[in-house]
Amino acid sequence: MVEDDPRDVELSLTALEEYNLANEVVVVRDGEEALNYLTYQGQYAARPGGNPAVMLLDLKLPRIDGLEVLRRVKLDEKLRMIPVVVLTSSHEEKDLVASYTLGVNAYVVKPVDFHQFVNAIKELGVFWAVINAPPPGS
Amino acid sequence: MAASVSLIEVLLHCKEGFGNAKPLREERIPFDQAAHPDSPKRRYTWGRRIHAPANLLLQRNMLIIRRYGFAALSVVLALLPALLLQHYKFHDVELPLLLFATAFTAWHFGPGPAALSIVLSSLCFDYFFAPPLYSFTVTPADIPAIVVLISFAALITRFAAVRRRIEGELVQARDKLQLEVAERTQQASLLNLTHDTIFVRDMNDVITYWNRGAEELYGWPAAEAVGKSSRDLLRTVLPKTIDDISAEFLQTGRWEGEVKHVKADGSEVEVSSRWSLRRDEENKPAAVLETNNDITDRKRREEQIRGLNQELSKRSMALEASNKELEAFAYSVSHDLRAPLRHMVGFAELLQKSSSSRLDDKGQRYMRIILDSAKRMGILIDDLLAFSRIGRAETQKTPVNLDLLLKEALSEVQLETNGRDIGWKINKLPVCYGDRAMLRLVLVNLLSNAVKFTRPQSKPEIEVGCADGNTDELVVFVRDNGAGFDMKYVDKLFGVFQRLHHADAFEGTGIGLATVQRIIHRHGGKVRAEGVIDRGATFYFSVPKV
Repeated sequence: MVEDDPRDVELSLTALEEYNLANEVVVVRDGEEALNYLTYQGQYAARPGGNPAVMLLDLKLPRIDGLEVLRRVKLDEKLRMIPVVVLTSSHEEKDLVASYTLGVNAYVVKPVDFHQFVNAIKELGVFWAVINAPPPGS
Repeated sequence: MAASVSLIEVLLHCKEGFGNAKPLREERIPFDQAAHPDSPKRRYTWGRRIHAPANLLLQRNMLIIRRYGFAALSVVLALLPALLLQHYKFHDVELPLLLFATAFTAWHFGPGPAALSIVLSSLCFDYFFAPPLYSFTVTPADIPAIVVLISFAALITRFAAVRRRIEGELVQARDKLQLEVAERTQQASLLNLTHDTIFVRDMNDVITYWNRGAEELYGWPAAEAVGKSSRDLLRTVLPKTIDDISAEFLQTGRWEGEVKHVKADGSEVEVSSRWSLRRDEENKPAAVLETNNDITDRKRREEQIRGLNQELSKRSMALEASNKELEAFAYSVSHDLRAPLRHMVGFAELLQKSSSSRLDDKGQRYMRIILDSAKRMGILIDDLLAFSRIGRAETQKTPVNLDLLLKEALSEVQLETNGRDIGWKINKLPVCYGDRAMLRLVLVNLLSNAVKFTRPQSKPEIEVGCADGNTDELVVFVRDNGAGFDMKYVDKLFGVFQRLHHADAFEGTGIGLATVQRIIHRHGGKVRAEGVIDRGATFYFSVPKV
């Protein structure tokens, strides 16, 4: 999960806990950290191998923003297979167009309502972690 | 002799009084008449006297008789002195005298009377002077004299005839010239009448004619302008090079363009100039007629308009920029405000869930208030955002079938009725012209209001219909028999977040009617409301017809 707002992170993790998925979530706080994680650089140089089964990506991130991360991921041979779900508060047409053009797998607008937000997170988690078959090597 | 001469002069003058073949003498008027042209005494000029038009034919016959009469008379008058002289034994005078008479006749009366005169002279000569006297016999000795008489007379007659002919031609030419001159002066004076600027210059640019309009425009009187080079005098500034213009001008004979000139007082004028080329008989360029129209004012105004337009476009760009700023602001406000709101609601709920057991009733109530307030804030933000979007969004105007739209709005609103039995009275609505989505919102808001405020009624009735509009717009109304409102507060009804009822009586943010008003105003229409407390309310709005 690439998300800079800590409270949103907490809410999301609390929601995912219901399905016992919280432990399997790696949270990074901005685009740079996300790329470092994916490319085994910086503080993640020695992390255990394997791509994540899915990447929940917020678009509004400090330093390197979400679209840039998406672009780099989809350009990289080794990272291209990672399913990316953009999870953002923006429902601007231009963000949708840009994301889909770059090859995003899903685009979810963060519901304003808390309940709906929690439901969305839960359903996302269930789908990608449980129902969907992750790409090999995840 | 003198007597006869003077007699003849008198004859001349009398004849001229009646004459018809002496137009050249027309100008000769007696000196005193020339000096006093307005003299009341009507003096006869030596020229033509206008006869009464009646009996023209008779007159003409009279004239002919007169002419021939005079011819005869002149012979007689020549004869008398001749006879007299004969008596006094002066010979060889008779022939010249008779010739004189014939010459006189020929000169003044024309070939016809001259012929008569010749005949009469011959007869007289033969009778009175040729032996045998007093008889009409012709002796061989007389024949030379008669022949000379006749041929000389004929010669004089011919001279006279030629002279007449030349005179006639000269007179004709002169008349024609006079007419032409009169026409030309009339044309020139017409050219001078107009206030349009017209001047003529030759191929060396020297001005040859300068009309009054040119004097008025440029300030140079004709006397000063004629003879000068127009380019120097007016300090002409041409829009293209002179060579370009000349090429076009000499080819087509016309040129039109905007030219700058300088007036006599030094001020600049801009004129719309038209040139016409006049060619001489050999088809070579001879002169240029230039007609100019002062367009300085028009140009100045065009400049002004351009300036105003520029300003306008700058202003509208600034307006657009500020609109975009507002849009960005509204958007960021809504989104940035929503995140903490979500957190408030989220964590409050989590708190509620996790510590409801540890909270007492008061604590739980406070919890609930926190949650409700957060939720309400969310609704307010949403409403505000939607309201601002109305102002920013582009209207897409098309013909809209209100009947169909009403059905859609009704189906949306039905969800709010909660199974209540509402008496709907839907009248036929016409087609109007406007933005479909926005008008749908108007109907939804008004209907949902009607549904909401008829909740306390046991038999709620809601009516939708068309009222009398005018030629350009139609008026739609939504009437309910619900809670109504006090007309005292009708002005507040459409205000943003204004509510006339307590929140616990009827929920709502107070933005529904404000939205309706905003939308209708964007369509150029009006909204209106009437209400009676506890009896109901009617809301009217007008939309343009198709």
